[in-house]
Amino acid sequence: MTEKKTPLLDELETGKWPSFVTEIKRAAVKSEAAGELLQVLERSYAERRGHWKHGGIVGVRGYGGGVIGRYVDEPQTYPNVAEFHTIRLLQPSGWFYNTKTLRTVCDIWEKHGSGLTNMHGSTGDIILLGCKTDQIQPIFDEFSEAGFDLGGSGSCLRTPNCCVGPGRCEHACYDTLEACYNVTNEFMDELHRPMWPYKSKIKFSGCANDCTSSIARSDCSVIGTWRDTLRIDQDAVKEYVANKFDIQEMVCDKCPTKCLSFNAETQELSVVGEDCTRCMHCINMMPKAIRAGKEKGATILIGGKSTIVQSAFMSWVIVPFMKMETEDDFEPFKDLMRRIWEWWDEHGKSRERIGETIYRLGMTKFLQGIEVEPVPQMVFRPRANPYVFWNQDDLDRSGTALDGSKL
Amino acid sequence: MVFKMARGPADPEVKAKVLEYLAKVQKAKSRDVAVAIGATKSDVDNAVKELTAEDLVEYLYITTTFICLKGKVQTPD
Amino acid sequence: MAVLDQGPPHYKKMLPPIVQENYGQWKYHEIPSPGVLKHVAESGATLYSVRVGTPRLVSIDFIRDVCVIADEYCDGFLRWTTRNNIEFLVSDDAKLNPLLEKLEAEGLSVGGTGRSISNIVHTQGWVHCHTPATDASGVVKAVMDDLYEYFNTMKLPAKLKMGLACCLNMCGAAHCSDIAIVGVHRTPPRINHDVIRKGTEIPSLVASCPTGAIRPDPKNKSVIVNEDKCMYCGNCYTMSPGMEIYDPKNDGIAILIGGKTSNARSAPSFSRMVIPFLPNTAPRWPETTEAIRKIIELWIANARKGERVGEWVERIGWEKFFSLAELPFSDMLIDDYIFSRETFRTSASFKY
Ligand code: HEM
Ligand code: SF4
Ligand code: SF4
Ligand code: SF4
Ligand code: SF4
Repeated sequence: MTEKKTPLLDELETGKWPSFVTEIKRAAVKSEAAGELLQVLERSYAERRGHWKHGGIVGVRGYGGGVIGRYVDEPQTYPNVAEFHTIRLLQPSGWFYNTKTLRTVCDIWEKHGSGLTNMHGSTGDIILLGCKTDQIQPIFDEFSEAGFDLGGSGSCLRTPNCCVGPGRCEHACYDTLEACYNVTNEFMDELHRPMWPYKSKIKFSGCANDCTSSIARSDCSVIGTWRDTLRIDQDAVKEYVANKFDIQEMVCDKCPTKCLSFNAETQELSVVGEDCTRCMHCINMMPKAIRAGKEKGATILIGGKSTIVQSAFMSWVIVPFMKMETEDDFEPFKDLMRRIWEWWDEHGKSRERIGETIYRLGMTKFLQGIEVEPVPQMVFRPRANPYVFWNQDDLDRSGTALDGSKL
Repeated sequence: MVFKMARGPADPEVKAKVLEYLAKVQKAKSRDVAVAIGATKSDVDNAVKELTAEDLVEYLYITTTFICLKGKVQTPD
Repeated sequence: MAVLDQGPPHYKKMLPPIVQENYGQWKYHEIPSPGVLKHVAESGATLYSVRVGTPRLVSIDFIRDVCVIADEYCDGFLRWTTRNNIEFLVSDDAKLNPLLEKLEAEGLSVGGTGRSISNIVHTQGWVHCHTPATDASGVVKAVMDDLYEYFNTMKLPAKLKMGLACCLNMCGAAHCSDIAIVGVHRTPPRINHDVIRKGTEIPSLVASCPTGAIRPDPKNKSVIVNEDKCMYCGNCYTMSPGMEIYDPKNDGIAILIGGKTSNARSAPSFSRMVIPFLPNTAPRWPETTEAIRKIIELWIANARKGERVGEWVERIGWEKFFSLAELPFSDMLIDDYIFSRETFRTSASFKY
């Protein structure tokens, strides 16, 4: 194709940060579609508006999602990107790769698509950006052959993801990589064949540092924690002192519950275990000296989502502690998820995320629906109004006759 | 077509009713289909899964997910 | 025959031998230099991870290039992070410095660890989405170019996590970032009645609006938008290209700050709006880069060691922040959406 000028985009090839414009140009050497994408984008930069339309096609036999239809708004001017669909592929847990696998992805995508990718999408998938409708089935067939599967799109379980966890992090309180792999495989139907009011996401973080931002970015956040008391290695504490690390200022003073005390004379650090809320701060500051307790598991939180429609929600606690050590421990989690989705599927309105459904109908109804007992860990503080909706059971249990006898 | 993790075969009767219902409408949500034909939603979902594999039904994502007879709803031109 | 539902590739095949051998047995880590993590296992094994920024939107040739590097220095293993960085996994200390030299020579950006700014999590923008109010990749490129000195050093008071969402669907989940850049539409959709009459299912279009702003107009075989109710979300444009939500004159960027998702010290928190609108000055968004730089410099000058943006602002008070930052306060910054009341000051104590 003839060289066309892109003066505005060219300005984004200068500067130290790696340039996406350079990347599109690299793809354009081999793909006419990528070259045309550059033209469309240059126009967007000049006109300050987008030029894409959304579409309803799906394309792969047996699947309800995994492909997102994208069409340019002037197909006559840009025939090569008239259809420019996105394909989502399930990523390996923790985004670990060997180069052989990555090269396979590149080779298949070079053959059938624009050669452009997102590594990775916001939800976690490998995103292949831009192919024609008639290429979708062949692309799937080849990726399937190579051991890949489609990710989620539509009103379904979206591709779960997880932090690097035990693969390379001393803080991991459970095996996030295995949990993510295991749970993704369990819910293939929910992921590939949309059937819910709206999308639903799960993210697995190994500790309260929450490197996947699960609390903000997923309907179900699984955050590693422990139940007993964190462990302190006093020899290692002394090493920190020797290295002039100010334990009082950087650790004790910043502990939100003020449960850590440092004795400058003995150079010992002590913790009031029952006051610690397991926020991770001290462990982050002194990883050589402080570590999680021995009784490890995860906190399950529900409801996180972005702004649209009823404002942004952060997930809130549903199960304070769940064991997550062995494959058998995943079963109660999966059961819980099934109950939660069933309740939501039954009561949710179209395009209502689970957090919004719970908010509309009340936590009480939700907890009863999924058969989970209320505990104080679920709330920061109890209600400030007396408008309890009493049910007959509670009345029967708490009412007393005028003579003082139990009813 | 090989499903790695099958949920058990769908009820042929439900599959027939789903097709019959979808013939009458442009597109529908599977919950509405379940209500209309008097089946449980999970049975409908399972039936739809097989029907999509058989290329008779397809999913559409237009702000939320719908199902329709294959090719019935056209994509924008 | 293609296999359905086979799930993701098994992660165990993707782990370098040192990770397989020390799986779950990591003891601690250090950051010997910006962009380099040193993880030490109980066994004494040491793994270096070298973090490299990427534009997220990359070509297959870029991926092939990093594969060549990974083959030479990392026995063919690497990973990506949640924030779209690459981590080269080096198990042989002797290869660390040669790798760093190689990356330098190739012009790749090493950094993003500890007290630095990491890659900006972002969305599709004009490159590939239908409802953006601004571009994503271009704004990120402009901002990261400007802040590069904070990417490859660790001189900030604490870590700085930024996010960008190009419309208020906010699929990038920028809403809990230290600094969030959000594309905003500010006008209701313009209705192209011809396009709607041609191929739009009116009931679906009406139903697509989350605020119920759209009603059918049977006479016209089209729809009417109640402009007072419209929140400019662009959902209707998803349903029909006849609902033109883009508006080059009025689309732009809002800046929100002070969010976090980690539980360390304080509970996770939302980002709060401090600048309601900045113009879409493509290709380099100078107003946006300048505004962000000012906020970061103010934070550097005033925060205590270890204090993230939101922790700092909460300590000094938002009213103090506005006077320090010399940012105008306006009614646009006072919440009038659903959960507004919890942001009103129900106390008679405050600063000036
Ligand atoms: C047994 C009957 C009533 C009870 C127990 C009652 C109780 C209350 C309570 C507790 C408040 C809340 C105040 C607040 O939240 O700040 C309130 C507010 C109010 N009530 Fe009543 N109320 C009763 C009848 C009435 C009647 C008959 C009227 C008018 C004819 C009335 C007019 C108001 C007004 C105007 C307020 C708002 C006051 C304000 O905050 O400015 N109430 N009432
Ligand atoms: S969330 Fe915790 S366990 Fe996971 S990578 Fe982050 S610090 Fe490590
Ligand atoms: S984990 Fe947090 S609350 Fe617990 S002792 Fe450490 S700093 Fe304090
Ligand atoms: S934030 Fe909005 S415009 Fe940007 S990619 Fe997401 S939906 Fe599209
Ligand atoms: S932009 Fe959103 S709120 Fe406004 S009319 Fe369209 S769907 Fe409704």
